[in-house]
Amino acid sequence: MLDLLRRAQSLAALSGILLLAILISPRAADGSRIFLQPGNLTDILRQISLIGIIALAMTFVILTGGIDLSVGSLLALSTTLTAMALTRAWPHAYYTSHILGAILAAVAVSTLAGALNGAIVSALRIQPFIVTLASMIGVRGLAKWLSSNENIDIGFGRDLAAEFAAVFREKAIVIGSYACAAALFWILLARTVFGRHVRAIGDNEKAAQYAGLPIRRTKIWVYSLSGLLSGFAGVLYAAENHQGNPNAGVAYELDAIAAVVIGGTPLTGGKGSISGTIMGTLIMGVLTNMLRLNNVDSNVEMMIKAVIIVLAVAVQRGRNSIS
Amino acid sequence: MAAGLGAALFATSCASGEKKQLVVAFSQANNAEPYRAAQNALMAKLFSQYADVKLVISDAQQDNSRQVAQVETFIRQKPGLLIVAPNERAALTAVMGQAMESKIPVICLERDILQPNYTSYVHSDNVAIGRQAGMFIVDHLTKKYGRPKGQIVAMRGLLGVEGEINRERGAKEVFDQYPEIKIIADPVADWIQAKAKDRMTEVLRAQPRIDVVYGHNDPMAVGAYLAAKELNREKEMIFVGVDGLGGPAGGIKKVMDGILAATFVYPLCVDKAVEIANRILHEPRFNADNDYTIDSIMVTPENAAQMYEKFTVGN
Repeated sequence: MLDLLRRAQSLAALSGILLLAILISPRAADGSRIFLQPGNLTDILRQISLIGIIALAMTFVILTGGIDLSVGSLLALSTTLTAMALTRAWPHAYYTSHILGAILAAVAVSTLAGALNGAIVSALRIQPFIVTLASMIGVRGLAKWLSSNENIDIGFGRDLAAEFAAVFREKAIVIGSYACAAALFWILLARTVFGRHVRAIGDNEKAAQYAGLPIRRTKIWVYSLSGLLSGFAGVLYAAENHQGNPNAGVAYELDAIAAVVIGGTPLTGGKGSISGTIMGTLIMGVLTNMLRLNNVDSNVEMMIKAVIIVLAVAVQRGRNSIS
Repeated sequence: MAAGLGAALFATSCASGEKKQLVVAFSQANNAEPYRAAQNALMAKLFSQYADVKLVISDAQQDNSRQVAQVETFIRQKPGLLIVAPNERAALTAVMGQAMESKIPVICLERDILQPNYTSYVHSDNVAIGRQAGMFIVDHLTKKYGRPKGQIVAMRGLLGVEGEINRERGAKEVFDQYPEIKIIADPVADWIQAKAKDRMTEVLRAQPRIDVVYGHNDPMAVGAYLAAKELNREKEMIFVGVDGLGGPAGGIKKVMDGILAATFVYPLCVDKAVEIANRILHEPRFNADNDYTIDSIMVTPENAAQMYEKFTVGN
């Protein structure tokens, strides 16, 4: 019941902002509302996809009562590795296997880094904030070191790397990836034992421990998933920006956390949903698009976003305490 | 709150809809850099002279994806002209191509992109600036010692950035011709004054004699000066910078104050961009060139006051 209410709350917020965006949308030369143009709507979906993908796994992390600050750096590491593997490694491999190899290598490394986060959090019992803060710094250093501080250009030629970028920057591929990941993570959280464990740990870790739930293993998996999705977002980032950039993804962790929180998952964990996070991501995306279409000053944009974040969370808390 | 906000936004969008205006959309890479803030200010000032032109500036906050998204949004709005100061070459290439495909004239400002997806590219030349700075330093050393010899500290900006690479390359081309001129230290200070002060302090501890500090931007040269002053060694050497921004915080003022021996103006490129933009908007027959290179200007105590007037926006 409580969950339903919270979900209705995010949905109401999203509907409100959508309505506002439609109402105040500037009009194109033919009189139609620019906001509602299919091109603009798919622009929004593409633009939120990377943060959206990262926020899915961030939901799991936060549900366990943890946090993952390293996602932006992991994205940078993965995007750098993707570009390096495409432009510098395996010169004699076949096209498809080379591209697949590059993607797998990048995603595997960031998944491993995520697993390491999880292992340290659960084995050494250091607070997730501190562990992932450390890896946020260290992984960024690794990405910069690997690339000697350089952006690795993918280029626009007719070669393999350019081909990769051309395919994976397609709107359909990017949005489709987000949709698939969202569906998978929704099932994982709502319909599996693993999902139940994730919630139980965040709700009351002591109780979960007494109930004999596999706390360590679950946490390692959760941070690994965060690494995996950040790594995958990094692959898409490389294609979208035609480069492996070790400085990519700075402050992405904050955008992802904001999306989760606006979607109704409290930082203390235990309760929350993937659909809420998706709505949180959409709210931020639609809000950005609406303000930019109306040419609102970018500093004012930041102030408005700040107000929305606090409002969204405050309203949900209010409802909770009433019920 | 949302309703009030909506009403306010609605009011502004209605008001702008009443008059037929030419919109110039400017996608800026990062407002937080003083150089770019100066670009914004000058652009606003120059466009404000045209009553029928409305300038809209978006700030990508140094994030490629954000800038791509902002340019995409601009394309939807179909402005009369788009100016892009790309955060990075590769990331913005495709989306600027989309703008061209949508028949929006595009001016690429200061940084280039991988394909010529623009109507005009207005830029300066960092290698040439590096060379000018190098020659100034060689002249100074020749006067000091009777022949070209001396010890130089280079303060480097963020590694891998075009400006850093080429300002260094240009100067090194000159220094390499004189075997007795040596770069004895080249710490990295990421363009930041506070970091430059720390890095210079370490260099000063290690090096008993320094003739010249060449900062790849003015704030780093100033940071190095502050470090030397703290150890009472600022008279031993000269400080040379690049950027030459106007205003009380800019490098030109530092030359007037006797802190920098010289700075080399890295042109904002905005005057030219606005000139071309207005001609594209108002003269249907105008055919813009593909490439405009803007020369640097050397600022020394002799011409600093005059340059300060010229490059200080506002008043």
